[in-house]
Amino acid sequence: MASLSPLPTALSTLSSLNPNNNRLPSGHRHHLSLLPKRTLTLSATRSTDAEGGALDSASAVVEKKPKAAVSADPEGKEKQQPEAVAAAAAGNGAAVKAEMPKFRDPRWVNGTWDLKQFVKGGGTDWDAVIDAAMLHGVGLGFRADKYGEITYEARRRKWLEDFPEATSNDEAVVFDTSIIPWWAWIKRFHLPEAERLNGRAAMVGFFMAYFVDSLTGIGLVNQMGNFFCKTLLFVAVVGVLLIRKNEDIEKLKKLLEETVLYDKQWQATWRDDSPTDSKK
Amino acid sequence: MRLLSPSNLASDFSRHLRPAAHIAMLRREVLDSFLRSRAQSQGAHLLPALLTSLSLPSSPLHPYLLHYIPSGAGAGAGPATSTLAVDVVVGADGANSRVARCIGAGDYSTAIAFQERVRLPPAGMAAYADLAEMYVGDDVSPDFYAWVFPKCDHVAVGTGTAAAKPAIRRLQAAARARAAPKLAGGVVVRVEAHPIPEHPRPRRVAGRAALVGDAAGYVARCSGEGIYFAAKSGRMCGDAIVRIWKEKGRVAEADLKREYLRRWDEEFAGTFRFLDALQRVFYGSNAAREALVELCGDEYVQRMTFDSYLHKKMAAGRPLDDLGLLWKSAGSLLRATILGREVERLRSL
Repeated sequence: MASLSPLPTALSTLSSLNPNNNRLPSGHRHHLSLLPKRTLTLSATRSTDAEGGALDSASAVVEKKPKAAVSADPEGKEKQQPEAVAAAAAGNGAAVKAEMPKFRDPRWVNGTWDLKQFVKGGGTDWDAVIDAAMLHGVGLGFRADKYGEITYEARRRKWLEDFPEATSNDEAVVFDTSIIPWWAWIKRFHLPEAERLNGRAAMVGFFMAYFVDSLTGIGLVNQMGNFFCKTLLFVAVVGVLLIRKNEDIEKLKKLLEETVLYDKQWQATWRDDSPTDSKK
Repeated sequence: MRLLSPSNLASDFSRHLRPAAHIAMLRREVLDSFLRSRAQSQGAHLLPALLTSLSLPSSPLHPYLLHYIPSGAGAGAGPATSTLAVDVVVGADGANSRVARCIGAGDYSTAIAFQERVRLPPAGMAAYADLAEMYVGDDVSPDFYAWVFPKCDHVAVGTGTAAAKPAIRRLQAAARARAAPKLAGGVVVRVEAHPIPEHPRPRRVAGRAALVGDAAGYVARCSGEGIYFAAKSGRMCGDAIVRIWKEKGRVAEADLKREYLRRWDEEFAGTFRFLDALQRVFYGSNAAREALVELCGDEYVQRMTFDSYLHKKMAAGRPLDDLGLLWKSAGSLLRATILGREVERLRSL
């Protein structure tokens, strides 16, 4: 694939990365390099805050340092804070830059996926569009199955979650997930889940119908005419839809609690509490 | 106003602005002194002091006693702590309200808003001449947003959070990193932090003392807006007191609750509840934030948001468009959740 060419550069720059990709290494170092410089700036300006005249000299002094650091910076590849660059130039800078290459893919053009490059047969290969971001992931987990735009976008988002990128006005992202047609989403993601849920509903339905029949003698057709049975059916369907894992029961309870909590906080002032427990 | 998602998808809110509409950016130091001097010119007596405590009255006929340490012009001459007897107290002293503590209004959970004022070179300021930015993402805040707001001759870069307060400096660094190219050459001239109430206090009126603004906890969720609600609640409370005085001559707790609290809740509780629901749904995860930014590109959303924001009232949209919006929201959230799950799957590989 032509798109394999960016991979080697991505891999080589990422070779120093911890494969158990956690945010700490690069973010942490970035953070460390930021702190010392920032406190310097703060103390310089805070002490002179009261006297307006002195402020100008203090800020002039601080401004000189970032300018010097920026000109000394050989690869302008990494967009960093001037304060960070000043401290990072001491030695951290190169290492930090190497760990954070920008997101690049020949099919990612002008802030969105160029659909013309995903042509298969007569039409667009939506699965390829779904898988587009795989090439620019961590480098591990490179899978050989079909690529599509949804997973490509997932890869791009995962990448940016782990290495947040600075925004710039000239490289605006305009990708809108609604350009991927609805049936591509359904075919790729909904069908397996739908199969599982329908299976569960069918199993529950069959055994509930048998159980009610054995208890009450009402056959399937007559059960559908009975209001209570129809309610049970509704409960079964809703239950299968909402509770897919054991944890979902706790999650739903918490969700319900949270939903009414804010309202309760607003109504608190109207509840007549006794004067004795006013000091909460 | 530009809203930027974790993957830097940008939604430009000003595309569908009406001609005269705008989102105001203000400097609190300028606004506060303006409000004070305007009150003074209307006949209010300004007493610069630090309130130390408030003695509650023993009966409805006794006054409140405010104990304060005067500061300002004639401060050095008189005694250290003075006392002022008043009939009605309106506590407008912000999130760390001393009045609220003294009258036993209860506590509320707070978020922290952390902000740095950054002076940019002229080229940088020109880029922000009529642009304000909001960044959403787990890197800048787990439950709120980071912002770059222009303030006349400098920009305010900040972020806020309720759930991750100890990590606020890391979040602030991430916020600056997100806007890094545009903040190049900038110098931090001031650092500010303040608690932001998340919900109203359990008791906003106690006896003949009422709380307004941040002291009462009137901060909208989702946007964190509190300045308008502070001013408006102050005005409503003042109007209520004047009305009660004209009718009855004496203020009682029930009157305050009826005239001020009841009217306030009727007018604004709905808006607050809606914004709380929005925050819970759309600020919950990176996937939801992506959906939010995608939705905000929609023209109907922008118009409804502006109308509601400018008039501080849930704008009445057209029912058919509302249904369309509901459908689009469901779609966006669904797609974003699917992508979020894919991201998790990829992460576990």
